[in-house]
Amino acid sequence: MVKGALIKKSIQDMKKNRSQFLSIFIMAALAIGISVGLDTIWTTIDAHSQNFYQDTNISDFWVAASNPSELNLWRVRNIKGVQKAEKRFTVNNATARIDGKPILRVYAVPSENTLDMSLIMSGKKLSKHGAILDRSFAQANHLSVGDPLTIEVNDKRIDTTIEALALSSENIYAVKDTASMMPDPKGYGFIVIDEDRIASAYGGRKPYNQIEVRLAQGADAAEIQSRMDSIFGKKLNFVMAQTDNRGVNFANAKVIQFRSFATVFPFMFFLVTALITFSTMMRLTEDQRNQIGILKALGYSKKSILWHYTSYGVFVGMAGILVGILFGPNVIGRLLLSKIKNLMTFPVEDMVINISKFLFGASIIMTFTAGISFLSCLKLQNEAPAELLRTKMPKKGRHIFLEHFPHVWNHMKFSQKLTARNAMRNKFRIVVSILGVSGCAGLIIGALALFDLVSGIPKTLYEKTYSYDQKVILDSDTTDRAIRNLNLDGIVQDMEESSVQLTTQEGLRKVTAVSVFSKESPLIHLKDAEGNSVTLPDTGIAMTRKLAELMNVEVGDIVNLKRSSDTYYPVTIMKIVYMPSAQGIYMTDGYWQEIGENFRPTALLVQWNKKDNDFLNSGYITSYTDRTTQKSDFEGNLSAIFGTSLLLIVSGTVLAFVVLYNMGMLNFAERVRDLATLEVLGFHQKEIRPLVLTENIVSTVVGIFLGIPIGKYLAGTIAGGFGDDFDLISRVTPDRILIAAAITLTFAAIVNHIVRKKIKSIDMLQALKSVE
Amino acid sequence: MSFIQFEGVEREYIVGDSVIKAVKEVSFSLEDKSFNVVLGQSGAGKTTVLNMLGGMDSPTKGAITVNGEDISKLGTRELTTYRRDKIGFVFQFYNLVPNLTALENVQLAEEICKNPLDAAEMLERVGLGDRKNNFPGQMSGGEQQRVSIARALAKNPQILLCDEPTGALDSGTGRIVLKLIRDIARDMGKTVVVVTHNAPIAEMADTVIHMRDGQISEIRHTEHPRPVEEIVW
Repeated sequence: MVKGALIKKSIQDMKKNRSQFLSIFIMAALAIGISVGLDTIWTTIDAHSQNFYQDTNISDFWVAASNPSELNLWRVRNIKGVQKAEKRFTVNNATARIDGKPILRVYAVPSENTLDMSLIMSGKKLSKHGAILDRSFAQANHLSVGDPLTIEVNDKRIDTTIEALALSSENIYAVKDTASMMPDPKGYGFIVIDEDRIASAYGGRKPYNQIEVRLAQGADAAEIQSRMDSIFGKKLNFVMAQTDNRGVNFANAKVIQFRSFATVFPFMFFLVTALITFSTMMRLTEDQRNQIGILKALGYSKKSILWHYTSYGVFVGMAGILVGILFGPNVIGRLLLSKIKNLMTFPVEDMVINISKFLFGASIIMTFTAGISFLSCLKLQNEAPAELLRTKMPKKGRHIFLEHFPHVWNHMKFSQKLTARNAMRNKFRIVVSILGVSGCAGLIIGALALFDLVSGIPKTLYEKTYSYDQKVILDSDTTDRAIRNLNLDGIVQDMEESSVQLTTQEGLRKVTAVSVFSKESPLIHLKDAEGNSVTLPDTGIAMTRKLAELMNVEVGDIVNLKRSSDTYYPVTIMKIVYMPSAQGIYMTDGYWQEIGENFRPTALLVQWNKKDNDFLNSGYITSYTDRTTQKSDFEGNLSAIFGTSLLLIVSGTVLAFVVLYNMGMLNFAERVRDLATLEVLGFHQKEIRPLVLTENIVSTVVGIFLGIPIGKYLAGTIAGGFGDDFDLISRVTPDRILIAAAITLTFAAIVNHIVRKKIKSIDMLQALKSVE
Repeated sequence: MSFIQFEGVEREYIVGDSVIKAVKEVSFSLEDKSFNVVLGQSGAGKTTVLNMLGGMDSPTKGAITVNGEDISKLGTRELTTYRRDKIGFVFQFYNLVPNLTALENVQLAEEICKNPLDAAEMLERVGLGDRKNNFPGQMSGGEQQRVSIARALAKNPQILLCDEPTGALDSGTGRIVLKLIRDIARDMGKTVVVVTHNAPIAEMADTVIHMRDGQISEIRHTEHPRPVEEIVW
């Protein structure tokens, strides 16, 4: 009976204060939903990729060397800290003899190899004559286990039978070349064959060009990698760390990006949940002074009264958490993951929820909602029931600081004086309002900045830096002279794209992309971070800003460069260029030759006067991409982040509304008696309104201003959290601030409209009856 | 025609499914500059009568004429103007704005009236000249009620309405407050209507309207009302 009555009271109280409790619930659900939802993205990618790496035994680094000997391999194996070293042969530009001549990356492996294994999804183990084929490639080209497949390597045909379909952890993000950004399973995939099968294409001798290395736990990777020079001598091409693999790098970048979002953004929601719970429960228990007195007088124990009020917070908090954990992964998680799924290939598709983060978030919510409810009731527990039953004296008015300036104070209108005194008396509520509004405005600014950052990358690259119509990937046999003889009608720029290994004076080593083209460069317009044009130096190299930062070098420093030659060539960094994505170095074809390389164009950039379809279908080229396609592919590549930005804008807006609504209502509720008195005295609606609305408007405007630095901070943090491949400059432009301000002000206006209606509906007679 | 005239006034409230008649067929008239008391037990309908006279509520039937103007048909805006220009209110619980000082509470009247009286002077008159910078929270009940009287009269209204003005006060303080209302109203020539359940107070009135169950049971006029000092309750 006792319990039943209190539960009924709880239900009644919640009904009466439903907008406040609904707000707490929404905030809690959003806080949990967004933090767990955004977390789900990176924990899923992280868990899937880590499992994938483990299941396939991925190497810690790869050594590219031409024809390494058994002795070389033996020496690598004997380095302390190396657990395993195996050799294999890979070639990137084999073609499958089926429709469309898709490109295949071939791995020819000895049967005893254990590193970098493919994960077989269907079929059996690889035999001497068969092949393991990329599952996505097989599906896109309608191939299945048992089908014959002929590939062309080094101009020789190799006939195989598909024995298994598989995934490869080295090809999580399966893009063909530097011009592509979207996986194209129909046009590109991988194939694994036995080392004996490849021999036929290379004159019967088994070729090798890669050593896969697995390190023991705790081994010093950098130190071990640096010893490859002495082992392989002039045969060494480069050493590539696991993290430099394009797929690993891509997955890592997504993990880093979403981990950063999941850390930065939810904070505001947690904060606002706490603030709103605080103001609601403080008011509720203060309103119920009398009722607490009655309950006490009736003989309810301190414990049951405390639990009664704490239970409000517990129930609302739990409901929010429950909805949050359902909504976060299932809506936010699924929505964003679906945009990432077609970029990355993993063996499993299920979501991985960050349980520990969820529990952490849930306990924060519970601490806020239940803890604050408990404390606000506890405050009244020490008073005697008789004291609680007595009507409370009106809160004492107090003179405020402003009154020391009579020339200001005496010229203020009553409503202004009253607003100023009220504001000073309810500092807490004002602080909550301002904090809440600044959080929302900041969040919206931050989310808009994220949108700008991400959409700015393809714009910078494909609108400002590149001006070609098409990028044509040349067949490896196509010579510079052959191209010149074609007399293509348009502006043509040839370039060589490759990778080189750079070593700094401090011994920092990195495999990085190098682009080589003429100094004139009619179709690639390099720029510095301020947007000024940069031309390539005659001698020395230009390096992207982020790479220079990562390698801790600056203009004037010398780095050692190595590609196919046996020596390291010291080159000077002459210029720093800015690239928002894809870091690397640039140099002229002349300098490239000066450091002992042959200039062999791998790609041709063309701005057509008249498009030459014969050329595009000729054997000179392997593929071509439109710049506009590259741009849209890039955007597609980042669609999960666009989605995140949109989600945050929407939820920031919800946040703004909830905060403003609550604070507006609270302000109204506290004013109701004053308003009724003034109404009886004969004040008109328009004279009464400012008493409540001025405060709302002022705190909204102040909140928006304070939101600007918050938004800038968020934008800066996000820009820095995109991973090594990206170099983003966060810019919060005035129009973004205006948009955020407009959204916030719109909601403030809506809330003010609601409050205005409320003021109109004040029942003077009821309000005047008693002191309560 | 009398200054205040109620003619067949009724007020119904709809509570849930039932209709409650708070006031039934009430007719009376009061003279200008008179001191009147509406007497009755709680629930007799006296506050409803006062509220309708004060323009805070409108009758469902009948006419209320004040100084020749029928106020029973006025809309919300016009009623506000009516309250603003013609009515001064004194409440049982004073209803001062807690965040304004005594003086500022009285000055509220200056904000909205055509011919307000000087706020400081009004406070002097109620004997609170030295408390004008105090906030309501710093004053006793009697003092707060006196501020409230000063506020009501500073508007220079035609009618002063008092709803149980002594209801929250002890009898000594109550007497001081009543005397103040009586004396100032007489000096300033205001019509006063006091609502109370306290029968002895009626002895100081020119006209006493007894109410029971929403109806008038008796209207009594006195040529020589008793001074407040002689009344005991």
